[in-house]
Amino acid sequence: MAATTAPAGRSSGVGGLPGRRAGPALLFAGLTFYLLLPMLAVFLYSVATVWRSQLLPDGYTLEHWISGLGDERLVFALLRSLGLATAVTVLDIVVVVPAIYWARVRNPRIRTFTELSAVIPFALPFVVIAFGIDRLAGDFVPWLQSTPWILWLGHSAIAFPFLYWAVDGAMAAAGIERLSEAAETCGARPRQIIREVVIPNITPGLVAGGILVWATSFGDFALAQILTGPNFETVPIWSADALLQTTGKGNELAVITFVTFIILFALSAAIVYWNRGHTLRLLPGAGAMERTEG
Amino acid sequence: MSGISLQGVSKRFGQVRALDDVSLEVAPGELVSLLGPSGCGKTTLLRCVAGLERPDAGVVQIAGRDLTHVPTRERPIGMVFQAYALFPNMTVRQNIAFPLEVRRQPGEQVRSRVDELLELVHLADQADRYPNQISGGQQQRAALGRALAPHPDVLLLDEPLSALDALVRTRLRDEIRRIQQAVKTTAIYVTHDQSEAMAIADRVVVMNHGRVEQIGDPPQLYETPTTPFSAAFVGSRNALRLPVREGRLRLGEAFDVAAPAGAGATAVVFFRPEDVELTTDGSGHPATVDVRIFLGSVTRLHLVVAVDGETARIHADLPSRRAMALGPGSAVAIRVDPAHMSAFGSES
Amino acid sequence: MASTSTAGAAGAAIAPAPAAHRRPFAAFLERWLPALPLLVLVGAMLLAPGVALIVGSFVGDSGPTLDNWVRVFTTRGDQLAILTSVALGVVVASICTAVGAPLAWLISRMLTSRRAFWLSLLNVAANFGGIGLGFAYFVTLGNVGMITLALQGFGTDFVPPRPASFAGLVIGYLYTNVPLFVLLTIPAMGAVRDDWWEAAQVASATRRQFWRRVGLPILSPFIAAGWLLIFTWTIGIYGLAFALAGTGAAKGVPLITLRIGQTLESDIFNTWRASVLAVILMVMAASSLLLYRRILRWALRWF
Repeated sequence: MAATTAPAGRSSGVGGLPGRRAGPALLFAGLTFYLLLPMLAVFLYSVATVWRSQLLPDGYTLEHWISGLGDERLVFALLRSLGLATAVTVLDIVVVVPAIYWARVRNPRIRTFTELSAVIPFALPFVVIAFGIDRLAGDFVPWLQSTPWILWLGHSAIAFPFLYWAVDGAMAAAGIERLSEAAETCGARPRQIIREVVIPNITPGLVAGGILVWATSFGDFALAQILTGPNFETVPIWSADALLQTTGKGNELAVITFVTFIILFALSAAIVYWNRGHTLRLLPGAGAMERTEG
Repeated sequence: MSGISLQGVSKRFGQVRALDDVSLEVAPGELVSLLGPSGCGKTTLLRCVAGLERPDAGVVQIAGRDLTHVPTRERPIGMVFQAYALFPNMTVRQNIAFPLEVRRQPGEQVRSRVDELLELVHLADQADRYPNQISGGQQQRAALGRALAPHPDVLLLDEPLSALDALVRTRLRDEIRRIQQAVKTTAIYVTHDQSEAMAIADRVVVMNHGRVEQIGDPPQLYETPTTPFSAAFVGSRNALRLPVREGRLRLGEAFDVAAPAGAGATAVVFFRPEDVELTTDGSGHPATVDVRIFLGSVTRLHLVVAVDGETARIHADLPSRRAMALGPGSAVAIRVDPAHMSAFGSES
Repeated sequence: MASTSTAGAAGAAIAPAPAAHRRPFAAFLERWLPALPLLVLVGAMLLAPGVALIVGSFVGDSGPTLDNWVRVFTTRGDQLAILTSVALGVVVASICTAVGAPLAWLISRMLTSRRAFWLSLLNVAANFGGIGLGFAYFVTLGNVGMITLALQGFGTDFVPPRPASFAGLVIGYLYTNVPLFVLLTIPAMGAVRDDWWEAAQVASATRRQFWRRVGLPILSPFIAAGWLLIFTWTIGIYGLAFALAGTGAAKGVPLITLRIGQTLESDIFNTWRASVLAVILMVMAASSLLLYRRILRWALRWF
């Protein structure tokens, strides 16, 4: 990809595909402004004393950061969100990687089911899934209703496709079937193969997919609100509460929103780093789009 | 018919000098091959002729007209790309018709010209297929048809055979030559394969590091390389670095040639394996067979030669029937005719 | 414990499996065990709930019925919610396509390092949804938002669109969906290879001729597919809608997702309504996704 785009960038003068012209430059300046402005506003709000009537706040303070990060309820919500997202990521890695590996090396029919399953979270909006889970739990396992456990399972289910596509793509790119056969001829057993051959060769996909799973769980509001609500207060639940109340929690909300933004930014940078500027397969069939490349 | 003239063409990409003051004249109707390793500038030179790259300095002329600053689409050229570059949404027929249609030629004229080209490139049966429905060789012939459709003055071919397998490659190579001579167009053919260049071209231009190393017809290039680079790059050669003694380069009794003018303390001699002679009359220098490789009609021997306490390794080709008797460890004697050797000073 | 037996079964698997003949259950485990946890998770958390909703939408107090569906389709509030959701999806997806397609093209032609920068920025925006984005909307375009204050500070009497209005939702949704569209379609932009444009130039084609005859025919199905994905995604958004438009009809914009949430919150005895609305959303999203896959397959016929 890099090799094919390079000449186009160079030959912009003669008639390469669109190069550095005024239009695109303006477009990208606008885009940067558009993407960063809300972040900037949130940040300024988090350090503003009062902000009434001009472009910039009247004065600056770190007070909200101190009070926000000292607020026990908010800190616990943050810890819950971090813990939940991590647990969800671990569960997804544990169930997804062996399934794809087995589908590739042993039983291709597994793929029929997993491919279909990976589409469901996009065909069913999260509210719908949340409502369905809650209903079903009420009928069959009422003792699980409104517990963190059901949210854990629910998040793992809605987020697994991100890991699925990333890992599947990584396995295809690494030619895991051939590597696996080679390892077998060397006398390795399946668990050794997974640990010493498969995992090291799919690390970029595993990291990128894992990060997306993590971010999905961390940012989810629909399932959290419908399945557990205030019983297990995550950051989005706390934020919604703060937003709807008129008790002036705006500045703390700005703090936590900006923290979320920073976390997302770090994760995005990590994904792009691990994939070396390549795009990710985010949605069903996006892999099909990729097949046309190179 | 019209020739191509390149004068002092230079092009840099960042710190890399892709082309360094290259000049070249291609006569009308001639097929010239640009030969060199990857990164030597041959493709960049071709793209300068096409107008896909703009040279930093120098002049590009076709038929005496200065085209240096003329955009690609106004140049009288046809081009065949390495990866075919057929439009996937068009059939073979539509691909070949494309250059005529964008020139707004009348439909009847387009149709008859396309039929003519389909005959020429032997694709009449595949005319209504899409590129992904035909083989690589067929795709490349379709690309050739598209390049020739508008009667270009100049045909440019950028490693057109490199994506094909060996058998298709030779067949299509000969077909490209036949078609080029049939339509009598001037052509530049870029390749990194020396046998392909020798087989197809009227003249071969050897390039290295953005410069022209040598220009000559294939026999000339094969027999008398003028630079160490073309000696090493064209054909497989033995290369030995030897000390210069009294203006001579010697390898024991095997050969004794004049050192090149201006050589320093050492110089390099090149000679082909088939020019190494195994003597039977007691003359020559003793050598030992190390490895024997059967190549069909000839067999290649890897020989170890000891001279003044040092050893040299030399490859020798001889008719397979003669080589039968010689296994690893056999003692032989060798001699090389100075007429078939090239020697170059040690500065390079 | 499970993993131990996996290893044992798999060890046998590598050799041809005569043992499998004798013990069909062991053979079944050997073929499926590593995938079972995933399949169980998906079955219990995605498939079963979906089925339960479909069934629930056809069940009334006295057994199977179509009443729920009839009542939803004849209730003005529900009709309005369905129409508004569809309209919002169409408007958002169309704007995303118009803005996102050229952006995706330009980014796909960048050198790797520049492209990496834009990818990470877009990825942040695409993931920055929900309540946080809702709050960002208030501090940017709310009554005392940054832009509002700035524009009023310059002496204009700018009045920002209310967050709980159709325009407000469109603006909010665009923030995540334009980047999402770009990220989704960048890989497809790679389908148009640079040497086609070069070949077109050699064939004397103008830029316009190239796009009309080659570029757009190849890209348009991918762009249409992107439109469908954004549509699907948009009609299902809940968190941001909740933040901007509160609990739905009462405050301004009726949406299917908000109405489902609202029913669950306050109308616990009428969950049939939420079931029907959920199934409607499901059907819209699923058919849009099916169409998406069909278009993609069609788009790939040339490759």
